[in-house]
Amino acid sequence: MIKDITFGQYYPGKSLLHRMDPRMKLVLTFFLIVVLFVSKNFFALCLVSLITLIASLLSSVPQKMMLKSIKPVLIILLFTAALNIFYTKGGATYLEWGKLVITEKGVNTAIFTIIRIVTLVVLSSLLTYTTTPTMLTDGLERLLSPLKILHIKVDTLAMMMTLALRFIPTLIEEIERIMNAQKARGADLETGNLIERAKALIPIFVPLMVSSFRRAYELAFAMTCRCYTGGDGRTRMKQMKLSLRDFICLFVCLAVLAGVILLNIKFGSIFEV
Amino acid sequence: MSPALEIKNLTHCYQPGTPMEVAAIKDANITIEKGEIVGIIGHTGSGKSTLISHFNGLLKPTKGTVLVDGTDIWSSKEALRNSRFKVGLCFQYPEYQLFEDTVFKDIAFGPKNMKLPSDEIKRRVLEASKLAGVKPEMLEKSPFDLSGGEKRRVAIAGIMAMEPEVLVFDEPSAGLDPKGRRDLNNLIKAYHKKTGSTVIIVSHSMEDIAKLVDRIIVVNKAAIAMDGTVSEVFSRSEELKSMGLNVPEITEVFARLKAMGYDVPLDVYTVEYGADRLRELLGKGVGK
Amino acid sequence: MSEKLIELKNVSFFYEADEEDAPPIPALRDINLDIHKGEFVAVLGHNGCGKSTLAKLCNAIYEPTEGTVIVDGIISDSEENGDKIRRKVGMVFQNPDNQIVATIVEDDVAFGPENLGVEPSEIRRRVDEALKSVNMYDFREREPHKLSGGQKQRVAIAGVIAMQTDCIILDEPTAMLDPMGRIEVMNAIQKLNKELGITIVLVTHFMDEAVKADRVVVMDKGEIIADDTPRKVFSQIDFMRNHSLDVPQSTELCNLLNLGSDVLTIDECVSKLASVLGGAK
Repeated sequence: MIKDITFGQYYPGKSLLHRMDPRMKLVLTFFLIVVLFVSKNFFALCLVSLITLIASLLSSVPQKMMLKSIKPVLIILLFTAALNIFYTKGGATYLEWGKLVITEKGVNTAIFTIIRIVTLVVLSSLLTYTTTPTMLTDGLERLLSPLKILHIKVDTLAMMMTLALRFIPTLIEEIERIMNAQKARGADLETGNLIERAKALIPIFVPLMVSSFRRAYELAFAMTCRCYTGGDGRTRMKQMKLSLRDFICLFVCLAVLAGVILLNIKFGSIFEV
Repeated sequence: MSPALEIKNLTHCYQPGTPMEVAAIKDANITIEKGEIVGIIGHTGSGKSTLISHFNGLLKPTKGTVLVDGTDIWSSKEALRNSRFKVGLCFQYPEYQLFEDTVFKDIAFGPKNMKLPSDEIKRRVLEASKLAGVKPEMLEKSPFDLSGGEKRRVAIAGIMAMEPEVLVFDEPSAGLDPKGRRDLNNLIKAYHKKTGSTVIIVSHSMEDIAKLVDRIIVVNKAAIAMDGTVSEVFSRSEELKSMGLNVPEITEVFARLKAMGYDVPLDVYTVEYGADRLRELLGKGVGK
Repeated sequence: MSEKLIELKNVSFFYEADEEDAPPIPALRDINLDIHKGEFVAVLGHNGCGKSTLAKLCNAIYEPTEGTVIVDGIISDSEENGDKIRRKVGMVFQNPDNQIVATIVEDDVAFGPENLGVEPSEIRRRVDEALKSVNMYDFREREPHKLSGGQKQRVAIAGVIAMQTDCIILDEPTAMLDPMGRIEVMNAIQKLNKELGITIVLVTHFMDEAVKADRVVVMDKGEIIADDTPRKVFSQIDFMRNHSLDVPQSTELCNLLNLGSDVLTIDECVSKLASVLGGAK
């Protein structure tokens, strides 16, 4: 069922990662992703992957959940691996079969890319697994708050994001409900050509729109009743404070960057032979 | 003559084959004869929604069979498609499914999907609007301009227009005011009487169930817990309460009197019947 | 009676018609109503009788077309006063899904106090207390969409309590709930009224809920047609039926047996019947 998607969902816990300041988590995730792409050889890459693995073990998120988050990108993984294997040439030739040539460099780049993508997915999943969507938007809001000088309504944007996150599951349920109701009236959603299928979506789309507008209208009322008048004068229950653990993590990440730079210099790049 | 609906050893599991496997309904057996009017009760999460979604093939049984008018609905694509029309399923808050720009077109959606000729569609729309109490002058209006109660009637007409042999109502009067409830109950009764088709009502309102049906099926913990006449089921009020269900207020009054030692019947579920029994007991002294 | 909290004086309300030139649609006509501090008032009436409009006037979501609405001394005649009034009168709506704004229960409860600019530590305290008062404290870290209807509605109520309003208006809060959910919500409402002294205005379709109030206001066609104790209101069986309403089955039974029509609850009905049945065991 669509309801069961795990990518981008929060896994409750009390680990180091859960307790980190979301702002620091956002910055460091972004930072590590950059470092990941700066890494030019297996040693550097493995350093980043290793730190990601350690973080993942510290997060108390079950490894099964982590694997689940990789599943959706499996096709992309296979596709990029295949592209790399067949199109990158250089070094010793492992296999030659007509036009199909598999070389050492091809295999290396393929493995390199796979590790890189998997690490990337694990890193970003770690962020969403250990941070509630609310904390995430709050963190983003505060990181972006300097933009207020440019008259960008950061708090309004953050509110919109929170509401979107809040209503996604509700709307998914709604779609399922409407689909069942129309199927019960004999609506055929599975057969026919593209145009027929697009047409068959009207009985689902129209009620969904109508109900979404009704929800938006009611939500606006409810928010007014709870004295929401925009961002000015709002306080927050959950305060964000950088603590020692955040700075330790920052230090670790800086160390990783230093390590990657050193390893890059020492072992060179696998992309140029 | 084969029964209108027959459920044999029905089991439905969500996420089968995973450690998270949950049986939403286990080994259920139900036979509903043609022309019956039956109520299904059970608290939220008891499995009754899963159960009724099998009646017209919206869900596929993990085990067991569903026979509509003697045909296994999963035996062929054709049979499955036909089951949608033979068993009309009217969901909770059906007004949220309206989408066409006129009431007429919306009611015609089901018959159109049945690929009927246009004069037959027209006949059915008019017939169904009459049954559901949709006034003729409403037919050319947009369904979105109607009041809540009117919208619901239009949605119900949309199901009736398929002329199903079995019509299932899931919480038909949810959110209506007392008069709306009374009107809708009368409408369902009249429909049953006039068309002679089989009617199944799923409801949390024991008072509505008591007024409408002849037989009650109780679903509890993914299984059929009781299946009997209204008086049989409501006389077991203690068991019903342990399942998180209540009984009509009037039934409760009699159950309490009985518990106090008075020789009153337990099968009371309408106020009129209860008043009659009490009058008998009191002799000619009280009441007229 | 104690002080007045909400005062409606000769209030009328008209909705703007969709088409131009069409006359505005009247929803309420010349309403006079006082709600006192600590009261539990139920508002009954069929769909479209104006009871939801009445509710929205009480917390200044709408301003009256004619007449005045005064809440704790503040007249609802400006946007600014509206904000002040909404700090005193909170509201819970019918559909629990459409009033929960956050993805975590406790964050949602904190939304109101955050908007009021309350100190963070004080918000935390209020949120915990509010969740405890509706028995939802153990669910504070859950996601609202995974809760039952009754639980969601209790979260919505906690969200209002955390704002420390004097009054909560509930607009058919149980209409979309199952019997269990209805009981949970009604228990929460009664507890708030009895233990915390919060004024309750409950708009409902369910007679058994109205029976629990101190006072029942019945509306029809935009007017108040009855305003009395539940016992007095429900004893007028024909009157209620004529206005598309109903009475509890206990009341109806005793009335059919000519045992008087001032019986409200199952308990009263049983003891009344027992007294007339006497030794007929």
